[in-house]
Amino acid sequence: MSYRPLTEKEINLLVSQGCISEGWKEISVHKDFTTTNIINTRFEGKIKLGVISRTISDVEGITRKCGIYNSYIRNCEISDNVCISNVKNLANYSVGDHVLIENVGSLVTDSETTFGNGIEVDSLNEGGGRGLPIFDKLTSQVAYMAVLYRHDKEFTSRLMDMIGEYTNSKRSSMGRIDSYASIRDTLIIRDVSIGSYTVISGSSLLENGTIVSCKDAQTFIGEGVIARKFIILSGSVVDGNALIEKTFVGQGVKIGKQFSSENSLFFANSEAFHGEGCSIFAGPYTVSHHKSTLLIACLFSFYNAGSGTNQSNHMYKLGPVHQGILERGSKTGSFAYLLLPCRIGSYSVVMGKHYTNFDSSDFPFSYITEEKGKSELTPAMNIFTVGTRRDSEKWSLRDRRKDPEKLDLIHFDLYNPYIVGKILNGIGILNELADKTPKTQDFINHKGINIHRLLLKTSRKYYEMALKSYLGNEIIKRLGKIDIITSAHDLRERLRAGGTDGIDRWVDVCGMFAPASKIETIINDVRSGKIGSIKGLTERLKEVYQNYEQYSWEWCSDLINRHTGMSFDDITTDKIIEILEDWKLNRVKLNNMILKDAEKDFDESTRLGFGIDGNSDIRDKDFHAVRGEYHENKFIIGLQKETAAIEKTADMVISFLKKLT
Amino acid sequence: MNREEVNNRVKKVIAAVLEKNVSDINDGANFVTDLGASSIQSIRLVAGFEEEFSIEMDEEKSLQVQTVSGAVDFISAYL
Repeated sequence: MSYRPLTEKEINLLVSQGCISEGWKEISVHKDFTTTNIINTRFEGKIKLGVISRTISDVEGITRKCGIYNSYIRNCEISDNVCISNVKNLANYSVGDHVLIENVGSLVTDSETTFGNGIEVDSLNEGGGRGLPIFDKLTSQVAYMAVLYRHDKEFTSRLMDMIGEYTNSKRSSMGRIDSYASIRDTLIIRDVSIGSYTVISGSSLLENGTIVSCKDAQTFIGEGVIARKFIILSGSVVDGNALIEKTFVGQGVKIGKQFSSENSLFFANSEAFHGEGCSIFAGPYTVSHHKSTLLIACLFSFYNAGSGTNQSNHMYKLGPVHQGILERGSKTGSFAYLLLPCRIGSYSVVMGKHYTNFDSSDFPFSYITEEKGKSELTPAMNIFTVGTRRDSEKWSLRDRRKDPEKLDLIHFDLYNPYIVGKILNGIGILNELADKTPKTQDFINHKGINIHRLLLKTSRKYYEMALKSYLGNEIIKRLGKIDIITSAHDLRERLRAGGTDGIDRWVDVCGMFAPASKIETIINDVRSGKIGSIKGLTERLKEVYQNYEQYSWEWCSDLINRHTGMSFDDITTDKIIEILEDWKLNRVKLNNMILKDAEKDFDESTRLGFGIDGNSDIRDKDFHAVRGEYHENKFIIGLQKETAAIEKTADMVISFLKKLT
Repeated sequence: MNREEVNNRVKKVIAAVLEKNVSDINDGANFVTDLGASSIQSIRLVAGFEEEFSIEMDEEKSLQVQTVSGAVDFISAYL
């Protein structure tokens, strides 16, 4: 674009409009520039000005005439049709077109900076040792590998070099305010890169950070926010006097209501209100909504923190060992306390206070309770609770990310090779414990937590129900349309996996399920230099993510082969039918157990306090008016329909298979 | 095994799991509303009955049993 110097006439006009500059010659303007709406403004240093003539609307839809009014501008490039009004100090910024900046104290790039990229965040261990330089393309997968794979020094070193290379590419002494951003009523913004369509309104201080935003996923930074050393990605909202420092905020995240965060990472769709986060690694869908909740030095994902949840380590010796792993789908009840370090298995619920260090990761879907000051584990109980089922349905529906480029790779399947692998492992351990525990012993201590002997057999049965449900479900998914299957041979061909990449151990890479071998290959390729950039690494992870269905079936078919003792070369139709009959029986049973659990929400004990001044009839009417009826509940109806559909599908497929030769 | 014996052994399991005196457990008592059984204790009761009577009960139906006498009936059907 061609720029020209100001003409004498234009300088005179600007002076007559209250503008000041000691270096008018340093100002270059677009060829179609007009002075009309440049009023009471002081210019200093090198300035570029575009065509400023149209109108601009703010987020409330109020229209303003574009122009530069009552401001001080130093070393800035200003594009077309902006409205800059009452800005006390705008310095060293490139301002995109259609940007609105109004009532801002200081908006400056002070010196060369990387705009929050490369700031080291001590997540997971506040004592350090797992520091991660944050950047505006960070994904939960890359963060997981960088923070948790410290045993592999070569990989970590290469990865840090790649991150360093990326963050250095962001270095500049000129900040950016990209097109259509709106910045209003804000005190100080220093060394912050502001993406297009960002809305900043009423913030107190934003310093050394990057805000990524786009038309489809606007980012909003609201009132009272104090943010230092940060990255905030698209579609996120940080408002309500939130106080964040050395913090990464991923896509579609909400932080507000005076939440304070330090040295923490929040990935896709997390929500943090009221409480405090210190050195946390909040994987996708980490939620903390209540006051008095302190989350400290833990890894979470798909997590819900009850009010007053707290973790600590009181054994100060060489310093606190704050590190907890709460695997996918965990929940902590009100005032649940965990002594760190500890590890909680997937989809487990923690209630009460736990004063010993334990590891329950062998047993997904567990209840962890405090009984008379002792930590007890009830394995598999959360398989048939309504909460687990509701959660697993809601997460995918609550993906707020609208950015065309979704950074975190997220799988939502409740049952998958990682979780079912854990279930199989759990069954093995329960069997082993049952074999060696005498009937005279009430409790068994497994990795620091107590399991009641009576539960060993029962919990194993619940896990087996889930396992049978999974196997049949996967076969049904794989079979798809069955009408073109004409023989047992066709059936075996349809079910044949066609590969073995997915058959071994799986990992949950902070939202993404993947065969461990695939992640190991990626790590090797980083070590060897075959993957040499963050872009290359995220692309490779994406490939694994996209192949999930294929790998997952390979794992499942291998399991079926081991389970039945038959490979897909020789598996009989009768064996497939047997798996499907088991599926039908156990899925229906599980659904009914979940329904039974949901029924508790409608029984008499839940009506306490309803119908406050009336008799039991009024109580019931009040309860129904507020909570509705069991048989009208949307979730209940959905589950009942699902059960009917399972029965219908199973009967139809089994009857079809029986006819195959 | 006659019903009385089943009844006595059922109450013995309930007393152990819920930490009650056998004498405080009435035949018509509801596990949740009268005896205060939590969800976890309900599972322990099922496990306790299975061990006491060396039976395997249906996972779904066993959790639907609500009273002491209901448990006696349910278990008797397996014996």
